[in-house]
Amino acid sequence: MADANTANDALRDEVRAWLADNWKGLPKPKPGPGGAGWTVSAEHKAWLAKVVAAGWAVPRWPAEWHGRGLPDAQARIVEREFAAVGAPGTGQDRTNLWANTLLACGTEALKAKLVGPLLRQEVGMCLLYSEPGAGSDLAGIRTRAEKVGDHFVVTGQKVWTSGAATADYGMLIARTDWDVPKHAGISFFFLPMKQPGVEVRPLRQITDENHFNEVFITDAVVPAENLLKNLGEGWGVLQTALAYERSVMGEGARGARSGAPESKTEEPLIALAREAGRLGDPLLRQDLAQVIAYKRLNALNTARAKADLAQGSSSPVMSLGKLAMSRILHEEARVRTAILGAGSLLEGPEHPRAEDANFLTLNAYFTSIGGGTDQIQRNIIGERVLGLPKEPEVDRDIPFRQVKSSR
Amino acid sequence: MPSLTPEERTALQDAVTRLLADRSAEADVRRTMETEAGYDPVLWTQLAEMGVTGLIVDEAYGGAGAGPLELEAVMEAAGAALLCGPLLGSGVLAAEFLQRLDDADAKTRLLPGIAAGATIAAAALTGESGAWTPEGVAVTADGDALSGAASYVIHGQSADVLLVLARTPDGLGAFEVDSGAAGVTIHALPTFDHTLRLARIAFDAAPGRRLTGDAWAAAEAALRLALVGLAGEQAGGARRCLDFTVDYAKNRYQFGRAIGSFQAVKHMAADLLLETESAISAARNAAAKLAAAAPDADAAVSLAAFACADAYVKTTADAVQMHGGIAFTWAHPAHLYLRRARADAQLFGVSAAHRERFLTALGA
Repeated sequence: MADANTANDALRDEVRAWLADNWKGLPKPKPGPGGAGWTVSAEHKAWLAKVVAAGWAVPRWPAEWHGRGLPDAQARIVEREFAAVGAPGTGQDRTNLWANTLLACGTEALKAKLVGPLLRQEVGMCLLYSEPGAGSDLAGIRTRAEKVGDHFVVTGQKVWTSGAATADYGMLIARTDWDVPKHAGISFFFLPMKQPGVEVRPLRQITDENHFNEVFITDAVVPAENLLKNLGEGWGVLQTALAYERSVMGEGARGARSGAPESKTEEPLIALAREAGRLGDPLLRQDLAQVIAYKRLNALNTARAKADLAQGSSSPVMSLGKLAMSRILHEEARVRTAILGAGSLLEGPEHPRAEDANFLTLNAYFTSIGGGTDQIQRNIIGERVLGLPKEPEVDRDIPFRQVKSSR
Repeated sequence: MPSLTPEERTALQDAVTRLLADRSAEADVRRTMETEAGYDPVLWTQLAEMGVTGLIVDEAYGGAGAGPLELEAVMEAAGAALLCGPLLGSGVLAAEFLQRLDDADAKTRLLPGIAAGATIAAAALTGESGAWTPEGVAVTADGDALSGAASYVIHGQSADVLLVLARTPDGLGAFEVDSGAAGVTIHALPTFDHTLRLARIAFDAAPGRRLTGDAWAAAEAALRLALVGLAGEQAGGARRCLDFTVDYAKNRYQFGRAIGSFQAVKHMAADLLLETESAISAARNAAAKLAAAAPDADAAVSLAAFACADAYVKTTADAVQMHGGIAFTWAHPAHLYLRRARADAQLFGVSAAHRERFLTALGA
């Protein structure tokens, strides 16, 4: 024990000293063009390069992959020291979806080429999973990849792709075998995005924003070394990637977008009702209490799940968070609208409260549809947490070629 | 037993769960709910021996000296097993009411018996309005003579001693009244939840003994603690009800497959898991805040009060629906939980009132 404590103290001192020598802060990040995505500044990239070179980016990974081979407990010490001074870049062995997926499943050639640049954010990435015909049923994808000589040729259409316009690579799932059941015929690639066969078109959302793109792929070329795992093993790679993605998806629901100030000292909903002179309305007060309660209950559930997790037992509560958040957002939007009444008919910068209520009303679907609809989420909770049996699946064991699709 | 470690608390909860699995199984509950007293004296003695009847009574008065956290844990187990008896009414509400008053003499005389389960005490805090507020008190004191009526008195028909809130010329007062005293008429009320016992108690110049201390402050403190206990009961009951409902959905076959494989049923179960887990979080949080005397304890207790009440009613109501015809029968236990949930949702104030209190506690 004493030895471990000494080693921990030494590590903590080393990280602190290194940060003291190197961390000088970074300028605030700016939204990318058109509000789409965030650009990585040159200063930020330079900082990341330093962190990677020092082995702090991925402390749990072995030295040959830019790491230090530290056990989890010690890597947490590194993360805590970085967090204490507000320095980004460490803990990527937990949070860097791209690098983790590549390291776990990629060819030696691709790893040698991209792991470093991914950690330094020198290459942009996007996700090429969903298709117009494959939403909830992701294994129903129909983008095809065919082996031609030493490379693959890809044709199909992807959707809900953020960052596609600036990405250098997309993590792509495509069908490589049409004569086996749907999950077995999928392969996973790093598709080079900057080539003639890849066309990116922004997608206008119901919120009138463009956070996502459609990606049209026509005879695009992928080198064979960009295949992760083996042909037909793409579904397994995808599960690895999704696990990393979920682990970093925070409580990331967006609130207001008008920028109009909201109360920091009391619940924003209460402040909004007060501002509107409606705080005395007993019916509205019931709604306010209920929505605030939903928020607090979700926070309590999350705290309890984390405590359970810290004690080594998994908690069913974690999987409930997304469903809870959907209800919170839709209900908060409803109550905000009720507070405003006819005011919610308006929009634009002169009507920021209406702008916020209306935006929240529409953007709530981002959470209740995106990343698995509430209905799919209820299936997952019912099946994986409560152990209820799955629905019979008519397409599971037949060749994908015979699976019915939408007209 | 003060400030048990989390492990000790779990051990206590497990011990109560085991005892109730043995002594408060469905058949026991059904048998007990048909009796006049509405509780099993043998089980009551066993609970007393485990220190449960005197759980929150100070050690100085023969209790276990435990707090809201231990109470909540025990009540989760009690709620799951539909425990019948005066635990909440005598061991929590009445005991805490007396404990929060300043009357050392009454505490010395009464609390040891209450803690040991030998004395059943009933707190008469509200009248026909069932409002559990100062305005709800419908007993008036003329000197030490009480007149008027109290209602919804938990296990009032079994009580040896009544602790009565009454209007006096100098505000609300607390009075100790012998349940057998002249001028006291105890009328057992027929209850929708057959596992519950309630009484209406009429006072006609009944002799009381005024207890020293701030009566309403003591009543409020007692109601707060009782609400935490009730929240635990609701959370535990909801979770048990969901468990047997999910189990049924796995084993009931229609159209050649388990009904739980149908999304119409599965989605109800998923929604109920969110309700029941939120109830558990809310109940435990309220207990923790109250135990720590946190400044936001009032908000936490009010939140748990309506969140757990609503979750229990929804869970038990949906459970009947998910079972289908079998749960429309008297022989199936689902309605016992539904009845308990509906009763618990009325005790010590309704959800709408708790939501209002919650909002007020948040400064709105």
